[in-house]
Amino acid sequence: MNKNTTEEQSSCLVNRRDFIKLSGSAVALLANGNLKRNVFAAWQSRRPKPKNILLIFTDQQHIDTISAGGCQYVRTPALDQLKTSGVSFTKSYSANPVCSPARSCVFTGRTSSETAVYVNGRPIRSDIPNLGQWFSQQTDYETFYAGKWHLPRSYTSDIPGFKVINTGIGGFGYLCDTVMSRACEGFLRNRSKSKPFLLVASFMQPHDICEWLRLNMDNPQEIRYPQLVEKFPELPDNFEFDENEPGVIKKRRLGNEPFKGKWNKEQWQYYRWSYYRNIEHLDAEIGRILQALEDCGHAKDTLIVLTSDHGEGLAHHQMVRKNTLYDESAKVPLLFSWPGHISENRTDSFHLVSGLDIMPTLCDYAGIKTPKNMRGRSLRSILESVVFSWGRTIITEVSSNTGRMLRTQRYKYITYKDNLVEQLFDMRDNPGETNNLATSSKYASYLPEYRRMLEDWESRLDVPPNVPNADVWRRKG
Amino acid sequence: MMGVIASEAISIVRCPEIATAFKKGLAMTIPQIKCNRVVAVQILYIQENAMAKKKSQRTIVGSPLTPTLLDELGALSNFPPSSEDFKPDGNWVNTYRIWTCHGYRESGNDNVGFLRIKRLINSQSSLTLKVHQEVLQADALVNIIEATIECRNNQLASPIQWKISSRFRSADGRYISELSSNDNGAAAEGLDRSAGDWCLFEAVQRLKISKETVLAFDMLEGLSLLKKDQRLSYRGLYPTKIGGENIPLHCFVQLGSGILPCEYWLDDHHRLLAVASMNKAYILDEQAEKITRQILEKERKSYEKRKSSQRK
Repeated sequence: MNKNTTEEQSSCLVNRRDFIKLSGSAVALLANGNLKRNVFAAWQSRRPKPKNILLIFTDQQHIDTISAGGCQYVRTPALDQLKTSGVSFTKSYSANPVCSPARSCVFTGRTSSETAVYVNGRPIRSDIPNLGQWFSQQTDYETFYAGKWHLPRSYTSDIPGFKVINTGIGGFGYLCDTVMSRACEGFLRNRSKSKPFLLVASFMQPHDICEWLRLNMDNPQEIRYPQLVEKFPELPDNFEFDENEPGVIKKRRLGNEPFKGKWNKEQWQYYRWSYYRNIEHLDAEIGRILQALEDCGHAKDTLIVLTSDHGEGLAHHQMVRKNTLYDESAKVPLLFSWPGHISENRTDSFHLVSGLDIMPTLCDYAGIKTPKNMRGRSLRSILESVVFSWGRTIITEVSSNTGRMLRTQRYKYITYKDNLVEQLFDMRDNPGETNNLATSSKYASYLPEYRRMLEDWESRLDVPPNVPNADVWRRKG
Repeated sequence: MMGVIASEAISIVRCPEIATAFKKGLAMTIPQIKCNRVVAVQILYIQENAMAKKKSQRTIVGSPLTPTLLDELGALSNFPPSSEDFKPDGNWVNTYRIWTCHGYRESGNDNVGFLRIKRLINSQSSLTLKVHQEVLQADALVNIIEATIECRNNQLASPIQWKISSRFRSADGRYISELSSNDNGAAAEGLDRSAGDWCLFEAVQRLKISKETVLAFDMLEGLSLLKKDQRLSYRGLYPTKIGGENIPLHCFVQLGSGILPCEYWLDDHHRLLAVASMNKAYILDEQAEKITRQILEKERKSYEKRKSSQRK
């Protein structure tokens, strides 16, 4: 039997089977090595492809900020709509919980140490293609970008691989997100239905909480609007923090506005209340885009992905903003929706997923190969309920390439360069990360294992020489 | 590779900021232009140290924006002279400069556009507001919103029907038709407890200055996004210092879902002088349009220069 005949027969075999059944068995067979790769590739290429892709990117969105996800402090009809129409992940982590580094990971599928964007305001290494460049080369999607970029400039009309449809103004979500969503609305309403697009709508909100902190640091004893006090959200259960933290975290906490301004309990609550109002503002602007998508008949043909660059401290561990590896900063919302193709209203609380998975997932949906050296993997099989369990660990980088988080299903291990204090949390029994097990003799054997896993991961990365501490991580182990 | 790094090193050392960093001891070693890796890493440390030092020298504002604070931050020096003839329920035009604050006293605070609202009396029961707003974007792009709103002559100036357009003009002065949008709308029957954000700029000037003034309503922001459960109330009379003069101003505050607290500041003639919400302020300024045009022109030139150097 010649090769062509084998492929034809294989493809007939594929066609005769029910899609879902095949998907499940194909993955299983591939895993066992019993299904030839080219058969699998043929099956993969015949899977439906969304006509359009909309990637909604938010800035500094805490994972628990969606009303339909159980957050009682906000009203979020647009986010609710996205959540209930698709799959959302509760164990979704930023690959680096800082603006530019996280964005570089989402838009390339590579770690921030590899993209050389280990701090804010650096460009992506030129030999790594971004999503726009890759899709422009490999697909017939026309690629557009609206809003915040931050690689390196926050707002620019010049983004490699994308046609920029709006630029925004620096640093202020309330004004520029409105202009950006109006631009996206115009774009969607004027766009011919026959031309496929990939649109990134990148919002600044709820990042305005950073300005709020600077504009409300002082006089915590005088709540400006006493009538609001009864509406303030409670403080989180893990408001208190562990004294035995790495020095870098203690230093960051003391440098933040709440400690400089000597905040009381009510001021912390007021800050939380204000953050949720920023979320509602964001939600309304997302709603404008979703409405335009619906009105123009694109809604059923469009794969929508929503994620954020990083989370927000939101008073957990008495932290604000990002740049730590606690869940509040490191976790981000990750939602996928494509009516009729992605499971509806499903919350995935099992799989560990990362911002590094977005690029491979989008490539998978577009029916193209990924750029080389992806560090994440496609989530398609999870989204379409083909695969129900995965074992993996997630690695997150942070703080100018000085920190690492290794997350397994059960535990989280955190280590910083030049810091003897390591952290180990049992995420099942202590999800608030208040009990550091790293000093307990009972868990002493865990640390070498996690160090080894980290070393193994680092050894596979392609980190350019101008990235600080690259050698430290390869050696650390 | 070596050549590139070496030349980068030289150009960065020549940069005044880095040179200052050396002088202040932020960078302890002069880059050794022998090994590209060491040089590159050292340069990055120097850059980051210099940037961190610059950032750490900024002063946090610390308090919410008020007219006094706007004066302190240089966002205004005075308001247009008050006119005894100003009638909130007459025909008038108010132009506001849109100013945003990054939360530091020294940097990141800019004028980013203007908002012009023209009030026209229609009849005893209705009035018309003509809105024109321009917001500057990076690279000399401008978003232009124009709206005509027929409003009830009630406390909230509740919108009855409206037309709105959003257009974008690029650095070369051309309109980008692919991004334009137009909408016509009308309020459902009986919706007399609704307001629009621009309508409130008009309505607040007609409200009774009294602690008893408390209005509850839903708001149609930008004539498109519904923000429910809003309350507008009178906060009080506050001593305010502007341009060295003490001027007491009245303050109303709007609180509600989907917005940060928004304060409306009025003089004794019920003229709305400033609106401040979190990191943005609308400041009554007859020169607002002219200032916006000047900034745009400057940005356009800088953009052209950037483009030209990129082409070279």
